[in-house]
Amino acid sequence: MPAVAGVSFDLAPGACLVVAGPSGSGKSTLARAIAGLVPWAAPGRLGGDLRLDGRPVGSTEPAALVARIGVVFQDPSSQLVMERAEDDVAFGLEGRGWLSPAMRARVPAALAEAGLAGFERRRTARLSGGEQQRLALAGAFAPQPGLLVLDEPTANLDPPGALAFAERLAAVRETRATTIVLVEHRADLAWPLADLVLALSADGTPLALGTPAELLARHRPALVAAGIWLPDEPPPPAAAIVRPAPRTQPLPAPPAPPLAEVRDVDFAFERGIPVLAGLDLAIEPGDRLVLLGPNGSGKSTAARLLVGLLRPNRGTVRVAGRDPARIAPRELARLAGYVTQDPERSFLAGTVEADLLLGLTPDERARAGDVATALGLALDRFGARNPFTLSGGEQRRLSLASQLVRRPGLLVLDEPTFGQDRRGYEDLLSLVRARVEAGTAVVAATHDLRFAADLGGRVVRLAAGRIAEDAP
Amino acid sequence: MIAIPTRADRVATSPLGRANPLATLAVALAWLLALSTTTDLRPPLLVTAVAVAAALALGRVPPADLARGLAPLWLAALSVGFFNALLSPANADPTATVVLAFGPIHLTEPALAAGVALGLRVVAIVAVGVAWGRVTDPTHLTDALVQQGRLPERFAYGALAALQAIPWLAEDLVALREARRMRGLRASWHPRVLVGLLVLAIRRGDRLAVAMDARGFAAPGRTRYREVRWAMLDTLVVMAGLAVLAGIVALR
Repeated sequence: MPAVAGVSFDLAPGACLVVAGPSGSGKSTLARAIAGLVPWAAPGRLGGDLRLDGRPVGSTEPAALVARIGVVFQDPSSQLVMERAEDDVAFGLEGRGWLSPAMRARVPAALAEAGLAGFERRRTARLSGGEQQRLALAGAFAPQPGLLVLDEPTANLDPPGALAFAERLAAVRETRATTIVLVEHRADLAWPLADLVLALSADGTPLALGTPAELLARHRPALVAAGIWLPDEPPPPAAAIVRPAPRTQPLPAPPAPPLAEVRDVDFAFERGIPVLAGLDLAIEPGDRLVLLGPNGSGKSTAARLLVGLLRPNRGTVRVAGRDPARIAPRELARLAGYVTQDPERSFLAGTVEADLLLGLTPDERARAGDVATALGLALDRFGARNPFTLSGGEQRRLSLASQLVRRPGLLVLDEPTFGQDRRGYEDLLSLVRARVEAGTAVVAATHDLRFAADLGGRVVRLAAGRIAEDAP
Repeated sequence: MIAIPTRADRVATSPLGRANPLATLAVALAWLLALSTTTDLRPPLLVTAVAVAAALALGRVPPADLARGLAPLWLAALSVGFFNALLSPANADPTATVVLAFGPIHLTEPALAAGVALGLRVVAIVAVGVAWGRVTDPTHLTDALVQQGRLPERFAYGALAALQAIPWLAEDLVALREARRMRGLRASWHPRVLVGLLVLAIRRGDRLAVAMDARGFAAPGRTRYREVRWAMLDTLVVMAGLAVLAGIVALR
């Protein structure tokens, strides 16, 4: 079964194509093919006629194909090649035959353009997710390619970073010197840049192709039905984040110690480089707490501390009155759930079903199928799939399902909405809301202001490892 | 933003850090070769002292870093020396002086001397290796191997990229064990963790290869961001290294 089928379009030099589609519709596969990487570098078979710069891909020397193309893939960490940031940016210039003096001038400029001025000597492995994404972008932009292929380039960026990136892309488009193919769920950022939008349906066939205005005028119902985000529903600004709606059910009175508590916590991975300092949080059953903050501000670290995966250097963390790092796994997994930012690293079995059922009690097994279905991963369709072959959005929902199924009293989510199409987002939101109704406390570390607003609740803003704002 | 000089930067700007890694490699190999031809006690001791002193003074390696690298050395040297002394055929020689007798175990003087000499050689070999490793930046070494050593780029930079992936492997392991814990399973060395680690490593390797090709790695006419040349300093390093070696050998 082809991942993508029957796609046709012509893209004029300097034009911008936005590819939209539900999760698992083959957007990333298409992006690799457009970047001229199939089949010689990336696996797959290519049928039909694909021409880049007028040259048919099948009969052109690969080196000549990629010479004028810059690509940024979904996972930034696995496309950084060299040990230090400047060498990594230079890597693509070397391959395209730039001379040394030109490289010396271009590398710092490309880093600065991506918001990484002064990062030349930094080790790529030590950068935060957002910084790695910026570095991957700097590497793709540096050779000033004729065609840029970008697969979810803003997924790991904080809101100001995503906005700055969209502005930069708009400036690139303005010059009409670089053709852009952009796969992006953030329709509010991507569609205004588009000359053409290609919408894919779930089976990888084209749903619609046209200018953004044409698509919105003629195909809106079909796009909405396919779960594709549209640009005229921008995420609400931070100011619009609403207070929690009144509860429909009374909750049990909070027990004497809070459900979870962080007291005056300091944490550092390396001595002298603090990640968090003086963190204080108290979480009661049914609370909704959104952790916001720029890339590298310590959100993920706070999430891991809260469930005892890390232990503080100073201060205390308590879940149900106990140190979560010392609670036996079997018990902890029923007290607290944690969905990691990187779902691929949380898969522990060869099929979706086996992964979901791993370590469950018979009661939990009985409801696993329903949880999967509620998150759009019905086991009769997805159960036998290998988790690694799922799309990014599906992987994230699977890792959420395997935590939700235990119904923990505290649910900690790290960027749960990355790469979700509209339907996946709505499924996820309604399931999380249902758990909140039932008394689960939810803590979400996120850059997604729409999710922050939809979830409601308290907003804690982190900046450089400290609480900058704690708004009820 | 102000770039904070890191530990690695201090080493990289030191005389040995700036030297062509092939020059320091040549010296290190010459020393190791010379060590294998001697059974004396003094040369390995002197080589160890010179290697450690050079790493500290000329390579500006922080003493704590060097100490950490050398830590496993003592155990290795002691056990190699001890077992070689114990199992030496010289112990069966009835004319040799017995240093230690414990039941059927005899330890004679020549056997003990041979054991000590062997142990010291292990010390020296490891010290030279660790000192060279600490003053050598992997990227610099790869550049030198490609530019002066004429190693194929695809192999050299592929190996370098694989080396970069080792810290990721450690992070994958942490993440997989955390994932097990959050599923209510013991975060031990379950075989499934190792399978998962392998799967992640293969996937990362695949993606890295595609990313490298997408950035023109396969293209002919590749240029160089870092030109590595053979400079006066490098000749000096080799000459000094060989002179020190000659001195040590002569002293015996």
